[in-house]
Amino acid sequence: MQTEADYYALFEAYQRGELAAGARASLEARLGAEPRLHQLYTEYVELMGTLAAYGERRRTRHTIAGLHEAMLAAEAEPVVETASPLTHSVNPMLRISRTERRLREFWSGHRATMGVAASVAVLAVFSTLLGLEAYRTAHTPQNGVRELRREVAQIVRSQKALIRQVNTKVLGTTESVAPVRDSKYSGTGFALTADGYLVTSAHVIKGADSLLVESRDHHRYHAERVYADTKHDLAILRIKDRNFKPFSKLPYTFKSGQADLGERVYTLGYPREDVVYGEGALSARSGYDGDTAFYQVSIPLNPGNSGGPLLDGQGNLIGVVSSRQDDVLGAAFATKSSYLVRLVDSLKNKQSAQPYRMPRANQLAGAARSQQVKRLQEFVFVVKVYE
Amino acid sequence: MNMDSTTALAADAQLIKAIHGGDERALSQLYRLHWPMVSHFVLQNSGSEDDARDVYQEGVMVFYEKVREGSLELSCQIKTYLYAVCRRLWLKRLTTKSRLHGVRLLDEEEYGPYLNTGAEDDVQEAEERDRRFATMSEALTHLGEPCRSLLEGFYLLDKSMLDLTAEHGYTNADTAKTQKYKCLTRLKKLFFASYKEA
Repeated sequence: MQTEADYYALFEAYQRGELAAGARASLEARLGAEPRLHQLYTEYVELMGTLAAYGERRRTRHTIAGLHEAMLAAEAEPVVETASPLTHSVNPMLRISRTERRLREFWSGHRATMGVAASVAVLAVFSTLLGLEAYRTAHTPQNGVRELRREVAQIVRSQKALIRQVNTKVLGTTESVAPVRDSKYSGTGFALTADGYLVTSAHVIKGADSLLVESRDHHRYHAERVYADTKHDLAILRIKDRNFKPFSKLPYTFKSGQADLGERVYTLGYPREDVVYGEGALSARSGYDGDTAFYQVSIPLNPGNSGGPLLDGQGNLIGVVSSRQDDVLGAAFATKSSYLVRLVDSLKNKQSAQPYRMPRANQLAGAARSQQVKRLQEFVFVVKVYE
Repeated sequence: MNMDSTTALAADAQLIKAIHGGDERALSQLYRLHWPMVSHFVLQNSGSEDDARDVYQEGVMVFYEKVREGSLELSCQIKTYLYAVCRRLWLKRLTTKSRLHGVRLLDEEEYGPYLNTGAEDDVQEAEERDRRFATMSEALTHLGEPCRSLLEGFYLLDKSMLDLTAEHGYTNADTAKTQKYKCLTRLKKLFFASYKEA
């Protein structure tokens, strides 16, 4: 029994033609007759062929690598030879330093990427700058005048939500406390007539979905917009609740003429949760940029004061608080009451079905300021705006 | 066909004949002649000097092996053929390297119709051969000593059996021979095992 190795020896001798004629003939005969031996032989041929080609490939690779070295050497040589009679290189192109060649390779390899990156960067910078600028101009109130409606802070809302949660959990008043959506903005408003008409600023109810009016004793009423005059920043609302009981008689009257310069004036408003009193003087009879529909008053006002009533010492309503100028100290603006009176008159003509019974008698004249405020605060409301 | 390309084709034919005959100087001449073209191409397409050298040597290898086999069917100038082969090789490397699917290459118009050169098939064939050689190299490594140096010495480096006997410390040439055949059968098993499965 011959081993595989023996057969390999036989095959090699056969391929090299070292076998005697008789042995060769017998092997050829066996190859023809025995499939297993034939397969062994085929595998042997393939293996030897691959091995030989592999050797050839290794030599070739070596030769070609040698060619490259030779070429580089041949390239380098003439430079040295031609340079020898001269102190400096004749051809500056051949004198590229290693670093510079690296840089050149890098540049030629990545210039497209770098170009794109640079343009993206430039684009991003400019679009950010321009975008911010556009955003700022869009959101800055026109020319330094700030409308005084209050954006209800997120923190207050979340605090309220927390309190509500505690209430429901601890006190178990689950049914009685309906989840109340909190308003986005708030301002101040005051009664126009005893039967439920209110006045506020037009910008307070800008973009309003629904309006809620809350009195000092926490009565809440739903209100609807009757008319808004954005030019003079006035708005008229009406309480639409069925169970609304008319107010008691209004203690103040609406001045249809102009108030005088230097008059002591005061206002009530809701820049925060509680009603806040503010006092000052009428400092000019025109508003921002010479707008004669407004007074300038020197009362410190805050967002939330908008729509509040402006009264003189005798308890005449002379204006509706509207805005303040940010870049001037103590300059706030209020719409003149004469415009309000004119607006109500025109509405009377248009909608004769709805009577506006404006108060005629002033009950505040002569009373002390604190007494006036006490009477007045029943008629000043928080206007909550939902979007 | 103009004069220029006619003479170029004639020169090419001469060169191929010389290389087929095993003339190393002819191969060296060819190598030097087309290196700038390929190096420029690779550098243009985000490769380095080393990449260019690798690709070019691979490309020349494809060409050389085809010539030696006598199976080269050239329908264009050697220049165009080499350009096509190297372009193909570099494109392959780029796609595997960068995982970018839509790699776009900057081509030189000068080497124009590189598409119908048969280079595509030749590169494919060379890849198949590369795989076979890689398997062989791996099998040789797995074979271990002294089998490996025995076989390499005899079949690849053409050393005589006597030298090998002395080198490996066998008592006589016959023992070495027997050992060699045993090694060969082991190589066969290793080679076919991984070649068939791949």
